[in-house]
Amino acid sequence: MKDRFDILLGVLLLACAVAVVGLLAGTGSQASQRDLAVDKALEQEIAYQAKVSFLERVYAPVLELRQQGQNESALLKLDELSRKYPTEAHGELLRGEILLQLGAKQKAISHLARAVRMNGDYVDRYSPLSRRELIDPLLARELADVKRQSAENPDSRPLKATLKDLYYLQGRMAGGCE
Amino acid sequence: MRLALRDPHTWLVMLAGGLLGLAGVLLALLGNPQNSGICVSCFLENSAGALGLHDNARMQYLRPELIGFVLGSTLAAVGFREFTSKGGSAPLPRLLSGVFLIIGCSVFIGCPIKLFLRLAAGDLTTLTGLLGLVGGVWLGLKGLAAGVDLGRAKKQRDGSGLWTPLLFVLLLLFLFVRPGFVLFSERGSAAEAAPLLIALGIGLLLGAIAQRTRFCVTGGLRDLMIMGLRAPLFWGFMVFVLVAFTVGLATGTFKPGFYGQPGAHLDLLWSFFGMLLVGSVSVLIGGCPFRQLIKAGEGDADAGLVVIGMFLGAGLVQAWQIAGTAAGVPVYGKIAVVLGLAFILLNLLFFRERAAA
Amino acid sequence: MSLRITVCCFLVLLLAGCQGTAERPVMKIGYMNCNSEAETLARFRPLTKYLSDKLEIDFQAIPVDTQDFPERFAAGEFDFTHTNSLVYVIMRENQQLELVATEMRGNYGSRTAGAIIAKKGSGIETLQDIKGKRMIFGPQLAPSGFLAQYDLMLREGIDPEQDIAYYAIPSGSFKHEKVVYAVYFGDFDVAAAPALDLELMTKDGKITADDFVILGQSPIFPYCTFGARNDLDPALIKRFQQALVDLTDADTVDYQGETLKVLASAWIDGFETLQDSDYDYIREMAKRANMPPYQEF
Repeated sequence: MKDRFDILLGVLLLACAVAVVGLLAGTGSQASQRDLAVDKALEQEIAYQAKVSFLERVYAPVLELRQQGQNESALLKLDELSRKYPTEAHGELLRGEILLQLGAKQKAISHLARAVRMNGDYVDRYSPLSRRELIDPLLARELADVKRQSAENPDSRPLKATLKDLYYLQGRMAGGCE
Repeated sequence: MRLALRDPHTWLVMLAGGLLGLAGVLLALLGNPQNSGICVSCFLENSAGALGLHDNARMQYLRPELIGFVLGSTLAAVGFREFTSKGGSAPLPRLLSGVFLIIGCSVFIGCPIKLFLRLAAGDLTTLTGLLGLVGGVWLGLKGLAAGVDLGRAKKQRDGSGLWTPLLFVLLLLFLFVRPGFVLFSERGSAAEAAPLLIALGIGLLLGAIAQRTRFCVTGGLRDLMIMGLRAPLFWGFMVFVLVAFTVGLATGTFKPGFYGQPGAHLDLLWSFFGMLLVGSVSVLIGGCPFRQLIKAGEGDADAGLVVIGMFLGAGLVQAWQIAGTAAGVPVYGKIAVVLGLAFILLNLLFFRERAAA
Repeated sequence: MSLRITVCCFLVLLLAGCQGTAERPVMKIGYMNCNSEAETLARFRPLTKYLSDKLEIDFQAIPVDTQDFPERFAAGEFDFTHTNSLVYVIMRENQQLELVATEMRGNYGSRTAGAIIAKKGSGIETLQDIKGKRMIFGPQLAPSGFLAQYDLMLREGIDPEQDIAYYAIPSGSFKHEKVVYAVYFGDFDVAAAPALDLELMTKDGKITADDFVILGQSPIFPYCTFGARNDLDPALIKRFQQALVDLTDADTVDYQGETLKVLASAWIDGFETLQDSDYDYIREMAKRANMPPYQEF
């Protein structure tokens, strides 16, 4: 600070800094600010909850049929819904779950891997959509078996694809940055 | 000549490498994503998302480590009277270099530090990335030897070097005040985080020690190629890898193999090209992404521009589907890497000082 | 100089002529008619052309009625066969047909299943409710349109010959769709429908999942199958198999002046190599249902 102008600038700068800190700190407590401020995090949370509710509502008939033990009808319901929502990951996931129960393992694994590719929430510990409890034992059960089968049938393209899907699921279950 | 073992600086560099390796594994154990205890590009992608530069709701978190790296460097530089504002060397190419650094990293899934953390954890898919990084450093060095020079940075008035640290002070403020426009993921890899104060503390410590030692992963490889085994940075780098490997082994996170590795893909060729881009850009602009943060912290406005470019790139790789995922490298990622390689080749052409015929 | 050019031109023409006149062996593939001869040929001729190009053999596609297939194969009419899995088992047992590859289509991939359906709201809610009702089946040699349902009923303690009012099999083409519509329009109370046809009709919007109750469905078993005469060169069978399993969605064939996607034009998702033991469930069903090749009088 060499002259009065420098001092003036310094004081104004300090005032700016105090004002910014004060304003930032005050946004949480000022009612008017709270009303006006765009809480993107809240909006994002609402959008996510809405999506989860939407999926629950859209696929409720499928879940209902599954609860009644009607897996075959549930698959038909999924076929019907896939006309309306062809790119929705949740349909892929449910199809994978049902096919797994019906014993069509390769197709089930393919649908589950596709679902995870489309929406990582299914391997997420914190998501209400998480299916880690389904995928973890599936990997433990199938990976070694499919690896062996693929080695025994090196020309089998479907087995190779299934193995690739299993490795993908294994990698996603292992975590890491996305 | 031999490694100067009596020089305390050599030991300091090795200490820096050791701490980086230790922190890299420990931060993952404390909550950061697996094999991503320290990853500058991942942290930048998370932070860019937190600031609204992309809308991937699974990749939004202001990583405290990142803030710590810059501010730790600033504190060390000020404390040891090394804070100097300098800049003015090819600003726009540096800004774009920052963008392409993150493009290369995101296609590989990780910065050079993460490459070695992944490798030390047994992830063999990184091997082509390693080859690419070495190739990139070699290409960059060839360029420098052939007369490529972005121009010397000039000492500037004190203010210009302050802006990057000030930006990170603002981010630090955001981290604690959490205004409504800053986003924090509640799911996905960005929701996996070490406790805030521990992460910040480790970031500050690593930032400070990296400022004192000039620690840099690509710098270690570069010095090895120039100076051979007497290069302290190379030994620091080796200690980093060794410590990460040993701690990983001791804590049970070492799982060797090609398949099922966390945050990895099997597009090995594109891992190679991604890291080739990172290696060559790093040598041309004088350091890997981590080193750019440290330099920006000590007043280097040119590095500050690289950091801004990295933030921009971090937003773009997510918004434009450039970043590689466990499913592989998207076509836009491949195109972006090829454009990045063209960018580096053009710069090698444009900035080459040719001897008069 | 001009002499050299003339000689070169002559040699080129000669070589080109040789290529054009080279004789390729001719072999026949019998394709089981699913709905009609015309449809079978339209579906499988591009695939046959693809196989001809790949193996450098002139394959001819022969459409064959399901009932006639085993007899005509036994008479040595075809070298390769494409049939449903029950007809494969019959020819395997009787003529030691070699398994080549299994077709993949729909939800279950290389497998399929048979379902017993009733119209929703008809009051028929369980398999036991079908006793005394009118039922319609698919063709008798259809594993997922007849055998699976017949066996399912037997396993549930329902004798199809005694416990239902009567059963019928539709005539003409598109039998599987006809059985579904027969229930939909109330002509019959219960139908034996292949799971794949229900899936395809739902996807096409012809029916909805809410139209029917699935009273029961068989476990999954292999779908349509390529086979080969057992006296063919094993290397040729292997090449034939490899050409099938190598097929991807993107593979095309030039057919009658058009470039067609091979799998899409045959309505197939791909091929898989299964083991003959994978067909054991069909054998068990056929034994329980007293059906060929284990039929006893």
